[in-house]
Amino acid sequence: MKVVRQMIPLLAAIIILLLLFRIWVPTFLTPENMLDLTQQISVNTILALGMTLVILIGGIDLSVGAIVALVGTTTVYCLSAISGDTQNVFYLLLSILAGLGAAAVFGTFHGIAASKTAMPPFIITLASMLIARGCALRFNNGLPIPIGDQQTILLAVGNGRLFGVVPVPVVIMLTLFVLMALLLHRTRFGQHVYALGGNREAALYTGIPVIRVEVMVYLICSVLAGVAGMIHTSQLYSAEPGSGEMFELTAIAAVVVGGTSFTGGRGTIFGTLIGAVIIGILDKGLNQAGIHYSLQYIVKGAVILMAVYLDVRRNR
Amino acid sequence: MNSALRFLIPLILLTPVSSGCSESPDSDSSQPASAETTGRLFGASFQTMNNPFFVDLGAGLKNELEANGDRLVILDAQFNSLKQKNDLSDLILQGVAGIFVNPVNWEGLKGSLLEASRKKVPVIIVDAPVKKADEELIVCTVASDNVRAGELAAQALAKVNPQARLVILHLSVNKACIDRVAGFKTELEKHPEMKILDVQEAQGTTEGARPVMRDLIGRYPDLNSVFAINDPNALGVISALDSANKLDQVTIVTVDGSQAGIKAIQAGKLHSTSAQFPREIGQIAAEKMLAHLRGEPVDKDVKVRVELITAENAEQYLESN
Repeated sequence: MKVVRQMIPLLAAIIILLLLFRIWVPTFLTPENMLDLTQQISVNTILALGMTLVILIGGIDLSVGAIVALVGTTTVYCLSAISGDTQNVFYLLLSILAGLGAAAVFGTFHGIAASKTAMPPFIITLASMLIARGCALRFNNGLPIPIGDQQTILLAVGNGRLFGVVPVPVVIMLTLFVLMALLLHRTRFGQHVYALGGNREAALYTGIPVIRVEVMVYLICSVLAGVAGMIHTSQLYSAEPGSGEMFELTAIAAVVVGGTSFTGGRGTIFGTLIGAVIIGILDKGLNQAGIHYSLQYIVKGAVILMAVYLDVRRNR
Repeated sequence: MNSALRFLIPLILLTPVSSGCSESPDSDSSQPASAETTGRLFGASFQTMNNPFFVDLGAGLKNELEANGDRLVILDAQFNSLKQKNDLSDLILQGVAGIFVNPVNWEGLKGSLLEASRKKVPVIIVDAPVKKADEELIVCTVASDNVRAGELAAQALAKVNPQARLVILHLSVNKACIDRVAGFKTELEKHPEMKILDVQEAQGTTEGARPVMRDLIGRYPDLNSVFAINDPNALGVISALDSANKLDQVTIVTVDGSQAGIKAIQAGKLHSTSAQFPREIGQIAAEKMLAHLRGEPVDKDVKVRVELITAENAEQYLESN
């Protein structure tokens, strides 16, 4: 309940934003437009869920955007190589595993490098961002790889609707949200994450398996980026080696707008969801209100700055 | 106090936006737009606005639509195809009367095209090709006649340097550039005296062309002409030749018609550029959209003129644009 009370200002901000945009855009609050909003934020929210854990332990992961591209290209490349013109569920699972496996390799590496060496996570993930991007560009000369029309299951991941209403990406997003919330707020692993972010030395002396926790955190972040990449790829009907640039920054913005402290130790999964929703509403609302694109950047920057400023003030 | 502040923040922040927005007439987008013939809202999404070409193209669209009493919102996809997809669905759900797209990733546009066709929103693709399979989902494509641009470059070169020993700087992932080189090569067949020494990739940028050109100077002592696929590429070639002190021995032709390219022609560093007319592309795309909405048939593949710019007409072109 305490969590919800902390979130009241952010929830209020959502309601105010929705009402404001309703004034300018008469169709803004239609169920269809709102459903589209949840679908639009799904990729960023999933990235931000993983990023929350990383930021909670005082780290950062700049590679998630490149991982999105790498997972997409790996999966679609494998799929078209082994299954050709037919759809085969087994081959599809194999290809998805290959994609997520690539993400897992990067995540494990981040965790090990961050916990066992003195290299700062900013630099580790900056370097692996370049490496992952380069790997993605190795496929198909850097050109987009189309997903064949026969791959209906993969295409449904990004474009399908459950019971003809709820977009599949939203179902995936909400499932992951619940899982991550349980993991962080209801398990011993979650407590360790907070302990690690609050005071690393103390965590070490209390016998918390620091290295294992840190590797798990980076691994989860990369694998979630992989899932986001799968949705992204499916939504675009193709794997695009150059896609996902700057995704890490939007994800970080959602995390900090949601009240997670950038120095670690404080923040919630629910806050991140709210942060992603606020950014999504801003994107959609400014677009539909017909605001010039130059002004959109300024407003978004100002909102992020304000949200973080208020958060810092409150917790001084 | 603090939570009260939080309530106020979005309000304060968005107030200037609200006044900026009210300059335009109130949109009644809740009503079906198709019944009206003026006062409609149109949307455009370009892969980037960080390029004068697209700024001009947008201006051409806007002028034509506003002359008809309609409005246009231009959105910047920032080379991000997911942002473009989201931007397009925002426009479609808002009930715009029509959409102009320059895709970030032409493989990735299908979802948006399907969504638009479900909602019966017509789409025109500007300055890009479209996949055969997607053709029925759009009204038409409007783009520069890139084959012609290549032919003009070859003709200009043949006139001043009939014995040309030339290299081509290519950007072979780009359909427009493929067309330019194809047109150039077709025209070259009429001039058997001219020989292509090499075709190299140079990324279509100034930085990309410099090192490639330096290598080529070293490798081909008899090299005396260059066809670069766009102005930025040609500027890189000029810079490489200048530093090797060979600029006066080599004729450079290119395609684009940017301010920087024409300045280089006036300075005598570049021989010609086959100019594109982004404003005209925008204007024609808008005309086609309006015609389509009136129920008139529209050609599927609309080509916009290109024009050869040399030292003779450079000044005139700069003035008229």
